[in-house]
Amino acid sequence: MRSTRVLLIAMTILAAGCRPASNAATPAGADYIENRGSDTIVNLALAWAERYQELHPEVRISVSGGGSGVGITALINGTVDIANASRQIKPEEIQEAEARGIQPVEFIIARDAIAVIVHPDNPVSQLTLQQISDIYSGRINNWREVGGENRPIVRLSRETNSGTHVYFLEKVLRLGDSDSDTLFSTDTLLLPSSEGIVYEVRQNPNAIGYDGLGYVPPDLKVIAVARQAGGPFLLPSVETVNDDSYPVARDLYMYTAGQPSGAVADYLGWILSSEAQPIVADLGFVPVTAAPQAPTQGG
Amino acid sequence: MTSTGEPRQYRASAGSRLLAQRFGFAVLALMALATVVPIVLVVAHIVLQGAPAISWEFLSGVPREGMRQGGILPAIVGTFYLTLGTAVFSVPLGVAAAIYLAEYARETAWTRLIRVAIINLAGIPSVVYGLFGLGLFVLFLRFGTSILAASLTLSIMTLPVIISASEEALRAVPQAFRTVSVSLGGTRWQTIRRIVLPQAVPGILTGVILGLERAAGETAPILFTGAAFFLPRLPNSPLDATMALPYHLFVISTQVPEMPLRIQYGTALVLIAFVLGMNLIATVIRSRARARRQW
Repeated sequence: MRSTRVLLIAMTILAAGCRPASNAATPAGADYIENRGSDTIVNLALAWAERYQELHPEVRISVSGGGSGVGITALINGTVDIANASRQIKPEEIQEAEARGIQPVEFIIARDAIAVIVHPDNPVSQLTLQQISDIYSGRINNWREVGGENRPIVRLSRETNSGTHVYFLEKVLRLGDSDSDTLFSTDTLLLPSSEGIVYEVRQNPNAIGYDGLGYVPPDLKVIAVARQAGGPFLLPSVETVNDDSYPVARDLYMYTAGQPSGAVADYLGWILSSEAQPIVADLGFVPVTAAPQAPTQGG
Repeated sequence: MTSTGEPRQYRASAGSRLLAQRFGFAVLALMALATVVPIVLVVAHIVLQGAPAISWEFLSGVPREGMRQGGILPAIVGTFYLTLGTAVFSVPLGVAAAIYLAEYARETAWTRLIRVAIINLAGIPSVVYGLFGLGLFVLFLRFGTSILAASLTLSIMTLPVIISASEEALRAVPQAFRTVSVSLGGTRWQTIRRIVLPQAVPGILTGVILGLERAAGETAPILFTGAAFFLPRLPNSPLDATMALPYHLFVISTQVPEMPLRIQYGTALVLIAFVLGMNLIATVIRSRARARRQW
């Protein structure tokens, strides 16, 4: 059975090589928080989790993406402590949760502007909400119709599991009208990630896409958006989101099953504190609480 | 030149037939080469691009700066634990099933049904295993998103490979070995335990390693059952979720903005080294066993 021994030795070497570095070790009986959901929020949640675990070595936080729907379903199934969502929980999801004895509790943890992006070579630099709606619903099919070159429009969207998709459908395509049944044009390309949209827009001069502001790299062109024809056409930024002038901005949420307690409550408290909110701005989102200098100005 | 082809074939000179044969062999050799080229290119590309990222810090550190810096230790350890967990569940079950099929079971409708089930198990797409694991282990059995649930899911996916390879290895042991053992008064179990199984171990181990190797590289089955996007601490219980190399690679290639390419290639290199390393072990075992084979 020499071969077995060889295998065992190989595995032992492998195991020894995997011995934890000292900074990765955790004390036993540590608090464990599972956090899953929105792909828009995942990098923000990751940055928070990283910083928080540096400050509190006894806490272990697992962060995963998958989409707002995935997070909320996991909360209803009881497999996560905190669900991330870039849209508000739906009434039927609340019903489903309550049927299982879970009362979802909502926290607004950041705000986000959705940027409409095009290839840098595209001469179009501003659109009204109506024009964006017409483009995505298939009523406008050529860039010429919105002041651009004679090129076909390639529509890019996140897939239906994405909170960003849902928000864009309700607020832009349907212009906030809940009775509207406008849908994405059937030739819209549904991409599985924010990064996928960025990648595709970078490649394709005919493309139009949308992404959370935090995901838009500087080499892409951001479209200035106006509520009505005639303007004002505004670019998304912390200022235009905070004063509600940029029309495509939304809240980002975390949900817990019932009022949080213990480590989860401490973590959410920290997320909303002036210590954690600057991280929101670092990642291109908009903080919900006052900037750190505000308390000194006020008091 | 539209005369019937058949007589022409007979009339062709020996020289032209030789030429046709040479041409045929050349085409076949090119085809064989074509299967080698992609693997060589892929490995060479990843080694060249990924090698600069490999450092002690990369292999032994935790991810930092939104995973754009630091190391991938939690993912390496996670994949190791998942592979180990898969072995713990799938090897005993798979080998036992193979022993039953190869040594005990007669060809009946029942064993045919088992074989059909195994073949079908092998054909199921891995994402379906993931959803099955989510339904059974994560939700119904309440294991949560955990190493345990992911290992069990990977085990079911690995079982057909292990059963088929083990059964084949057992059947390859010459019938004479069994006959002699039984003629010397050995019971059926003694024959299997002392004679057949030791002879079949190299073949079984090869199958086991190939199966585990596939498990180590899979993303879809662990996506819903045990993999975390970011969990910089090492797991301290089988009920913890974990980072894993294939999922980590997927995440940093698709989800994290401004991810340095260096780290993506470095992670791919570590994953490939992990899988090829297991492959190498299987090859060594096989060649050693061939040299010592008693038949």
